Order: sequence, then C-alpha cells, then structure tokens
Amino acid sequence: MDIKTRDLRRDFGKVQALRGVDLTITGGMFGLLGANGAGKTTLMRILAGVIPATSGQAIVGGHDLSTREGRVAVKRRLGYLPQDLGLYPDLTPREFLDYIGILKGLDDTAARRRQITDLLDMVGLTDVAGRKLKGFSGGMRRRVGIAQALLGDPALLIVDEPTAGLDPEERIRFRTLLSSLAGTRTVLLSTHVVEDVAQTCRETAVMAAGRIVFTGPVADLVSAADGVTWEVTTAGPAPAHGVVVSAVSRADGTRYRVVSAERPAPDAVPVAPTLEEGYVALMRRLSPAATP
Amino acid sequence: MIRYEFLMQIRKRSLWISTAVLAVAMVVLQGDRGPRYVPDGTPARIVMTNWAVLFGVLLPLGFGMVLADRLVRDRRLGVGRVLDSLPTGPRTLVAGKYVGSVAATAVAGLATMLVAAGFEFAARRDPALFGWAFVAFALVMLPGLLFVGAFAVVTPMLITAPLFRILFVGYWFWGNMLSPLFLPSLTGTLLTPIGDYAASWLLGETALYAGVDGILPWLRPEPGATAAAVSAGILLLFALIVVLLVGPPLYRRQQRAA
Repeated sequence: MDIKTRDLRRDFGKVQALRGVDLTITGGMFGLLGANGAGKTTLMRILAGVIPATSGQAIVGGHDLSTREGRVAVKRRLGYLPQDLGLYPDLTPREFLDYIGILKGLDDTAARRRQITDLLDMVGLTDVAGRKLKGFSGGMRRRVGIAQALLGDPALLIVDEPTAGLDPEERIRFRTLLSSLAGTRTVLLSTHVVEDVAQTCRETAVMAAGRIVFTGPVADLVSAADGVTWEVTTAGPAPAHGVVVSAVSRADGTRYRVVSAERPAPDAVPVAPTLEEGYVALMRRLSPAATP
Repeated sequence: MIRYEFLMQIRKRSLWISTAVLAVAMVVLQGDRGPRYVPDGTPARIVMTNWAVLFGVLLPLGFGMVLADRLVRDRRLGVGRVLDSLPTGPRTLVAGKYVGSVAATAVAGLATMLVAAGFEFAARRDPALFGWAFVAFALVMLPGLLFVGAFAVVTPMLITAPLFRILFVGYWFWGNMLSPLFLPSLTGTLLTPIGDYAASWLLGETALYAGVDGILPWLRPEPGATAAAVSAGILLLFALIVVLLVGPPLYRRQQRAA
C-alpha cells in the first residue's frame, strides 16, 4: 500500500506540528526517526485517518485522506498500534480482540475468532488469552496491541513507538515480529530508538521540527557520518569537540565514539559509523548551534 | 460490540454495590406506607408497582453515576486512540456503548425487582409477583433508565464526568422529587424519568406527583394509560435524540481534540 504526502501541514492552535511534509513510501518496512516532538505521531495519526491535516495532501493506497470516504477506506485496510496503547482492563485479550475485530468490520464470527486464535499464538499470548488485561505487563499489553493491529490482515501497518518501555528481550521479540510482517504489507515504524530502525528497515525518513530532513535507504543515513565518526580511548574527560555517542568503561580508560567534523583528540581514530551516528551527524549538520 | 459493552458494565462492581446499597437504603427508609406494609391480598400488580416506585426514587441516581464514564473512559484508558483508527463511525460507537452499558444496568435494576418479588412471594405466595416484577420494571423504571442513561453516557463528553454526577444529583431531586407545590420544578410532568405516570396508571391512583398543579400545566395531564404511554414515548424520544444526534458530533469533537 503506497503512501504519498505533499506539503502536508497540521496546526494545533499556534503550534505547527507538521510544516510541509513530503513523503513517498512504496512498501516494505519503513522507519520514521525523529526526536520527541518532531511530529512523528502527528504524521502517523493523519495517515491513520485519526485526525485531518490542516492543509496539503495525503494519499494512502490511492485514497485521499482529506475526504471522509478516503479515511474510511484507508481504515478498512489499516492496522494501527498507537504510541500509548490503552486496553480495557476488564476484558481478556480474546474478548478485546473480538471487540476490535467487530469494529473493524470482520462480521464472520467463526473466521474472526479463528484469526484471533492464530494471532494470540503468533504473539505468544495463548496461555493467557483468558486472563483479564488489567494484570498484564507492558510487554504483554504491547503484544495485544500488535495483535489487534493485525486483525483483518491489513495492507498497511502503522506502529508508533512500539518498543518504548519494553525490556531488551521484549524489544528484540517485537522487532523480529515486525520484520516478519513486512513481507506482504507496508509497515510504517515510527520511533526515536535508532536501533529499531537499524535492525528492521531498509528505508527511512528523519523528521525534525515538523519537517522531513532526510529520506532514503538506511545505508545512506549511515553514510552521513562517514569521515566524521571517531573512536578514542582515554582515562581523562570525554572529548570536548563533537557529540559523544557512546562511552564504554574499560580497564585502560573509557572508549568514546564521537561524531565530530574534526578529529576530537590527537589519538582518535576514524571508524565506520552506525546508524545512530549517522542520525547524530545529520542532526548536527542541520542544527550545529544545538549540539557542541 | 454491544455484547462486550454489556460484559464490561455487568462486571463493574460499582454497579452492583451502588444498586444494592441504594435498594437496601430505600427498603429501610420506606416507612409504614412502603410496599412491605401493603396488606395481604393486595394484587401483585399493586405490590410490585409500589416496589418499582420505591426503587425508582434512588436507584436511577446510582445508574446515572455508573454510566457517566462509559464513553469518556475510552480517552482516559487510551483505548480511544485505537478506536479512532477503526472504520466504525461515531454514531455506531456511541449507540453501541449506550445500548450495551444500559442493558447491563437494566439487569441490575431488574434483579432488584426480582429480589423484592422473591421476598414478597415468601410472604404472599403469589407467583404472579414475578411476572409483575418484570412488567413494573419495564413500564415504571426502564423508560427512565433509558432517558437517564442517554444523558449519563453523552453529557460527560461536554462537561466532565464528576461535574455531570454533581449536576445530575441536583437535577434528580429538583426534577423528580421536589414537590411542585413548593418550588417550580419538573416533578409530576410527563418529562420526569421517575416513572410517576406509568406507576400511577398501574396503581389506579397518583403514585407521587403525576398531574399535580405546577409550572408547564400542559405537561401535567391526568394520569392514565395514554399519559403513561406519552410520558414513556417522550423519554424514549429524548434518549434517541441525545444518543443518535447529540452524541456523535460530541464524540467526533473529542476525537479531534485527543
């Protein structure tokens, strides 16, 4: 399912959450990176038909989201996992999924319930399918969330910060699950966790202050840090120049990875960058005053 | 959807606790003119209608309280974000939540009447008491519940649920129980959800204030079958208007603001 936006804008009073977003997504797993407040969730909500844009155009699967008919048509083929997912505490996962399935228009009761059984198995919740949701951990709730998003076998899956708050094991499990889903559908993954995109997406866009500041293959974003990524080990303080991306304590000092246009220390060596460093390099290039 | 809204409401402990507490309070406070003191040999119709009138004094208050959060809690719980992405429109969502949650609340009300019928049966040995429990509930209590339920489910989208609850208590006493002879009020008119007109028709005499002089005299006909039907019809009409015409735009406004 293709997604195409042109000069998409959304205001909330005086706040310009989106300032002319141009984006084209043709399928597979697509990552949307950006800091908190960059406009990712607002963009997700517009593409999910939850809120309208203030101006501009958004076409999803050939349907114009500026019309009610277009939004309903998209919603029929959409699975949405919002950032702060809420569940009814007094329903079980099976009941909650059935409730959502009914609202998604899955009227064949037997087929819907079979699908729910399969989805509960896919997300590893079969054993607790009859337990009320109020006792569920964050990871379990997120799994219910992805299951409800997959009801009806949607052509477009929008997941907003799906791994936020999850422990490392849950996070890996989630990423693996999302990757497996991208084969036959478009998955739009919005996150501020760079590793989520690095592990799952081929293409990515970066948002900052309501605009798209990068779009293209993940490898191209990594390349943004070519020649400006350094590694230095020192027993002294962190390098003053550049942005320290990681600091690992070792017996002989602390090993720092730094993104800097200049060599941050005399003994710093250039290294191949990661996606995180590419992201930092891009942000630094866009707003040098914001980072040292 | 209605099935699950029903389940969530019927599983709500506060529904049963509030119903039981208010029902027991009314039984204790009924005084010597209450249904417990109706003489032996009184028709089951009269006995159970008196119970419906008694319970109808306070139970709807509890019903309004427990129904007030049924729609707005979706935002509080965060479920609204998922519901907003589904193709089901606001009218279906509002109506579904209303029907499911009010149906469950009606079960609690009916259960109260059946428990009363059970106690009466132990004393009077008249099986017709149970049938009249259903009839009295359906005619005296149910239209009011539908009316109260509509406002309880929809109004908190306009004002907060706590504020609604406070105002509802004030309305309930002013509009249903305050004698119109002392202060201008809707008490005793066709618009009151306490079921006065239906009860008066079943009893063959004025139950509370039906038809008593007061403001809006054209809304105060003599009690009878026609007046009872008109009163129920008006309450149902208001409920439909609130649920189908007022609720959906408010829900949409709530969606956009979220």
